[in-house]
Amino acid sequence: MNFNLDHFKESLIYGLIYLPNTLRLVFIPLVIGLSLGTLIALVRVYKVPVIGSLLALFVTVYQGVPIVVALMIYNLIFMLKFNDLAAFLHLKSEVSDVNNIWVGIFALSLTSVCSISEAIRGALLSIDKGQNEAGDSVGLTKVQTIVRIIIPQMIPVAIPMLINNVVGLIKASSVVMAIGIVEIVAGATIPSSRTYAFFEGYAAAAMIYWAFTAVVEGLAQKLKKYTGKFRRNLYD
Amino acid sequence: MIEVKNIKKEFGKHLVLKDVSVKVEDGQVVVILGPSGSGKTTLLRCINFLENADSGRLTIGDTEVDLKRAGKKEILNIRRKTAFVFQNYNLFANKTAIENVMEGLVTARRVPKAKAREQAEEALNWVGLSDRYDYYPAQLSGGQQQRVGIARAFVLDPEVILFDEPTSALDPELVGETLDIIKRVAEKGITMIVVTHEMSFAQDVADKVIFMDGGVVVEEGTPEAIFSNPREERTRQFLSRIISLDPNYSI
Repeated sequence: MNFNLDHFKESLIYGLIYLPNTLRLVFIPLVIGLSLGTLIALVRVYKVPVIGSLLALFVTVYQGVPIVVALMIYNLIFMLKFNDLAAFLHLKSEVSDVNNIWVGIFALSLTSVCSISEAIRGALLSIDKGQNEAGDSVGLTKVQTIVRIIIPQMIPVAIPMLINNVVGLIKASSVVMAIGIVEIVAGATIPSSRTYAFFEGYAAAAMIYWAFTAVVEGLAQKLKKYTGKFRRNLYD
Repeated sequence: MIEVKNIKKEFGKHLVLKDVSVKVEDGQVVVILGPSGSGKTTLLRCINFLENADSGRLTIGDTEVDLKRAGKKEILNIRRKTAFVFQNYNLFANKTAIENVMEGLVTARRVPKAKAREQAEEALNWVGLSDRYDYYPAQLSGGQQQRVGIARAFVLDPEVILFDEPTSALDPELVGETLDIIKRVAEKGITMIVVTHEMSFAQDVADKVIFMDGGVVVEEGTPEAIFSNPREERTRQFLSRIISLDPNYSI
């Protein structure tokens, strides 16, 4: 098999053109995942009655569904029911007006909410119970203790697990090809359908993912050092 | 004045506190002695609502609350009148020594930051840590951490400071420096309830000694009365075992 550098470069450029789509597919779910995931983890760790067990059930059930399956289901619902819903809400838009990247973002968000909540729950559980008691004893409210004491200590513990989540999310974002959204992989293989240089196309996509992931990991390590400056650097 | 009346606490089927009542006058230093599992730490934790008692009443100054049914506001109110020094220090790991001391003032009591810092510096100087303001707990020795813990409790100017075995986690050399600080707190006339195994400390500092065993108060009285003339056989037994281990101590 000959490796054609020109085709590779062309694929690289096409892949990069669609990088913004991948960025949207990664960072919107990441932000939603971090905020809702933290909330779910706190509700579960502090054992809020009823809601805590309901969320635990939801996380367990939802994590058992492959992301492609969830994506297909949402896409079908979106295509079949969007017009009815728009009519019901008296919106003037139709299914063809809406970019279905939002279906991808929705599916990836739900997945990342679940997995991030588990990562953060693990980090929260690693914090000594005595920290909560110390907060109580100096007269802080529960919320003050969580915001000022528990979360700042949770962050450096959670970061290694969150890196895993983000890297997983970056790679999982390529499954949205299945519903026709063009992101890095689909973009990089656009020239291949003309040149038949599929190997170069996929290699270019892999290259972009690799660089993207490396940048994210580098930034996360810096963030971990910064947020964990109060810890004795035994294991870091 | 602090008064605990008829407190009961169960962990599962294990009755840890069986109807305990304790009264502490203002400025008094009360030392609670007793074997492990006698319920002394649980009693202390119930007073600060770190543990929810199954029944009983608590009076601190002019506030009286039901230990089982107290609402969130009442609990916060009681906690802001008390301070707790933990066996394993429990300093806020993400905050420096001075931030640890300031936290209760700034966040719970809304003292302006500059004023809180001034008070915190004073408290840390007082426990001999004037050169350790910006150290994180992980960078301090056990004795230093416990002194920050004492400063953190002391700076809140509480009606009572509760000490839960403050020297049990320290090595013998560090016990002395920590006990000295606690003695100085006592000399300031602050009401204190101290759970400890340090007999000589109890003898030197306590106004009243309470001996607990099996979830009840077996005997209480002045240190002289308890140490040299215990009425109950159980007290005698306990003291004889401990005191024979302590060469510095003689009756």
